[in-house]
Amino acid sequence: MAAELKKAIYPENATIGLPTQHRFDPYTLNGGTIVGVAGDNFAILAGDTRLSEGFMIHSRDTSKIYKLTEKTFLGTCGFQGDVLTLTRLLNARLTMYEFEHRKKMSSTAISQMLSTVLYYRRFFPYYTFNILAGIDTDGKGCIYSYDAVGNYEKHTYHASGTASSMLQPLLDNQVGYLNQEGVRRVPLTIDKARTLIKDVFISATERDMYTGDSLHIVTITSDGVTEDHFPLRRD
Amino acid sequence: MTGKNCVAIAADRRFGIQAQTIGHEFQRIYGMSDHLYIGFSGLATDVTTVSNKLKFRLNMYMLRENREMKPETFMSLVSSLLYEKRFGPYFVEPVIAGLDKNAKPFVGSLDLIGCPMITEDFVVSGTASEQLYGMCESLWEPDLEADDLFESISQALLNAVDRDCVSGWGGIVYVIEKDKVTEKILKARMD
Amino acid sequence: MAASSLAKSYRNRSAIDFIKTTSKRKEDEMIEDELRTHLSKELSFQVPPMDPQVFLKSINERENGVKIQFLHGTTTLAFKFKNGVIVAADSRASMGSYIGSQTVKKVIEINPYLLGTMAGGAADCSFWERVLAERCRVYELRNKERISVAAASKLLANMVYYYKGMGLSMGTMICGWDKRGPGLYYVDSDGTRMTNYMFSVGSGSTYAYGILDSGFKHDLEDEEAYDLARRAIFHATHRDAYSGGSVNLYHVKETGWVKISRDDVGPLYYQYKDAQ
Repeated sequence: MAAELKKAIYPENATIGLPTQHRFDPYTLNGGTIVGVAGDNFAILAGDTRLSEGFMIHSRDTSKIYKLTEKTFLGTCGFQGDVLTLTRLLNARLTMYEFEHRKKMSSTAISQMLSTVLYYRRFFPYYTFNILAGIDTDGKGCIYSYDAVGNYEKHTYHASGTASSMLQPLLDNQVGYLNQEGVRRVPLTIDKARTLIKDVFISATERDMYTGDSLHIVTITSDGVTEDHFPLRRD
Repeated sequence: MTGKNCVAIAADRRFGIQAQTIGHEFQRIYGMSDHLYIGFSGLATDVTTVSNKLKFRLNMYMLRENREMKPETFMSLVSSLLYEKRFGPYFVEPVIAGLDKNAKPFVGSLDLIGCPMITEDFVVSGTASEQLYGMCESLWEPDLEADDLFESISQALLNAVDRDCVSGWGGIVYVIEKDKVTEKILKARMD
Repeated sequence: MAASSLAKSYRNRSAIDFIKTTSKRKEDEMIEDELRTHLSKELSFQVPPMDPQVFLKSINERENGVKIQFLHGTTTLAFKFKNGVIVAADSRASMGSYIGSQTVKKVIEINPYLLGTMAGGAADCSFWERVLAERCRVYELRNKERISVAAASKLLANMVYYYKGMGLSMGTMICGWDKRGPGLYYVDSDGTRMTNYMFSVGSGSTYAYGILDSGFKHDLEDEEAYDLARRAIFHATHRDAYSGGSVNLYHVKETGWVKISRDDVGPLYYQYKDAQ
């Protein structure tokens, strides 16, 4: 068994480990930032629309938010090639599920499926960082965040991507009420969440080269979905 | 961080070697003169050495000239001290905060070989600098009064270090005004 | 399953095939082929056209910003005492020095009578312990009785041993209660599997052992055992930069596991300090 496995990984003609080998370089970092915030009856997913590589901007209007079902959206950034493959694969899996079970996949089921799909590339990962936003079966908003190999966790708010470390502490403070004493914790409203997301992106755009151009905000409620765009710095 | 006729400087209090936290009462901000403070991030032994050397040179200046040093001048002093060790630098990234004699706030930072940067709003340095940029960029606004400035800088520091493994374990803030300097120790998460 | 499908998937997707493909028809076939591998009920692992371990190591050593970092740095512990097994863990996920999350559930609820812990790669632990949950259920249906902790831990050890040398990273404790009484096994991705009355795993484990060893007795009362475990994790989070968040505490009893508490480490420090 072990020999068979070894043979699968190292074909006879491969020259692994020898100095003559060229570096296998299958990824580039295309940048971008996504944020998800969940409330009692809504989930908001927002991402900038810049697609860059190094010091070059490829596109100023490539959204990072992908629609999976009527009430589940995926925000994904990292390597655009893997993003495209992953979203295509997910759509195929969702269609198959719908035909087999004669119903749409629930947000919670999609969250586990995405984890498994990512993990099956454990040894050759999709270089993508994902946030899944949707409405669960109780009508509540939910946000799931993923690492590249499918470890995931349910959150009420989360930031991923190149400017995540700038956005996340502010969300901790403003949405999670961390380090605030004697403050009344009011449930988050859609308007407040949207304003906050715009603010954090304006801040991130000031300092992160890979984030900017325009902000794509998707608001999901059990009544439906609204999408809007908000201009950001273009430099 | 600058305010209206005031300026604030804040730092965490962790002293550690990589993953291991040795102490949480480390002082990385030094008062150089009445209205001039400097904070360092980086290697602890260099923090002590550089601060002592600076204090010595500053005192010599003040004795010779018989007047306070302007923050801008002090920054040049720090810059030249660091550049002396261009090819074997001190591993520190200093942040300077001060008021000049007209109570005009000054903030600036330097890299480890002494490249100076002066800004109108805020400067950050250290392992949690990205997090601090995010916080400061959102919380800072022009002409903050001393109390508001304290609140902004404290929230910026606490929430930023809470997203950094190797910072935190308490914080310390100095708010520098024309007639007084307020020192406050922040209660924080100890993990 | 794994070896043959691994071999198949490698052949299906070798880089040489991609280069040789020029005709439209061949391309269509390849897409179909890829979909088949992706969409079959039993997914198979995709591998890079080189040694996976070398590949995974190389992508984390780039300078161009392309980095895939997994959860590392943890404190988890488990010990047996007269009333069962106590399991506790911190909840921090770090990527480099950045804290990705402070609310990770590092004690994995495999099923109502088995617990696993998470140290090393988060995805590795949660994925393989999910597979273990499935295997345990199948065992139960086939044999009309619950699987023993020894057998469950061995299933896991065998599964990950199969992928030895391919870069999996997992250090886990499997805890439960079976015919033989309380069970506690340590299993890691190198293939180690051993049993003892006490384990602690992760970057903060040395600190946790210090507290545990000084306060452990077999005949601790429940509350004393909870306090010991909580303090051990707390002190580890205090000293170890890569551990933190909150302490999740579980007790495995004869009737299955019970979640005892979840305490944020922030207030806990001042609570312990005031009590002194």
